[in-house]
Amino acid sequence: MATTSNESDSSRKNTDNRENDNKDEQNNMFECNICLDYAKDAVVSVCGHLFCWPCLHQWLETRSSRQVCPVCKAVISKDKVIPIYGRGNTKQEDPRNKVPPRPAGQRTEPDANTGFPGFNFGDGGFHLSFGIGAFPFGFLTSFNFSDRHGVPVGGQLPQDDHYLSKLFLWIAVIFIIWLLLA
Amino acid sequence: MAGKTPSEKRLHKELISLVKEPPPGMVVDVDQAEQNLNVWTINMQGAEGTLYDGEQFQLQFKFGTSYPFESPEVTFVGQNIPVHPHVYSNGHICLSILTDDWSPALSVQSVCLSIISMLSSCKEKKRPPDNSFYIKTCNKNPKKTKWWYHDDKV
Repeated sequence: MATTSNESDSSRKNTDNRENDNKDEQNNMFECNICLDYAKDAVVSVCGHLFCWPCLHQWLETRSSRQVCPVCKAVISKDKVIPIYGRGNTKQEDPRNKVPPRPAGQRTEPDANTGFPGFNFGDGGFHLSFGIGAFPFGFLTSFNFSDRHGVPVGGQLPQDDHYLSKLFLWIAVIFIIWLLLA
Repeated sequence: MAGKTPSEKRLHKELISLVKEPPPGMVVDVDQAEQNLNVWTINMQGAEGTLYDGEQFQLQFKFGTSYPFESPEVTFVGQNIPVHPHVYSNGHICLSILTDDWSPALSVQSVCLSIISMLSSCKEKKRPPDNSFYIKTCNKNPKKTKWWYHDDKV
């Protein structure tokens, strides 16, 4: 019995060694292209290049105006990298949530007294409003950015919103000046 | 290995691979690099069959703390500065991968290869046309120069 167990032990050791050798070779393949170390919190770009997420994130921050793949210079962005989940990893967390920690959602409680029945702000959309309370009937503008979920939006909507917000801001400024002068 | 910054870790790995598989004609001063991992001197020979055949040059690499996210500062140093349309007589090199086109996937090895190939493809040994003006006005650090990359022939 003892001999058989010894034999199986030594054979196991041999396979272990062989596995280690294989692992060394394979580790080269799974090295981050930036730190040259085994990729931690691995992500892969759409062009197929492997990085640690912290490394790639730092690179994207360094050249935020021109985000390109360090290896092949293809255009990349945070949304265009794919996290890799190995089997051994128990926490199947998106590495992109780690560095930086994903910004928390921002929400403001509605004012208890706002009773403008005519204003419908839409469902769950982000809305921005400003008003001048001193004016008898109130000068209130509000507009609604619909919830876009990061889908690239064609057309000119964002520009229009921007233009509108500027326009309303100027109207407000002119009102204040007029109120002060009157 | 503990207590090493990611930059030091990477430089150490690069040093090992540069010693193991150096680009043709290049020898890194290992002792100096191990003493100060942020400054490397590399002795290089002009490639055979090129205008620089038989010449000896010295390249200096200086690495900042944010390497590899920022490019290293690479200059020719020593007595013999190659006479080349992209190499100023103070050792500064006009090469896009050393500034604008730097990528953290590049390495000392790939920069060395680019410099060898830049020298090897040279057809006529001459200094850059603005050499005398440049060396009078430039900063000591070539990365402070706003380079214009317009000639991709050599």
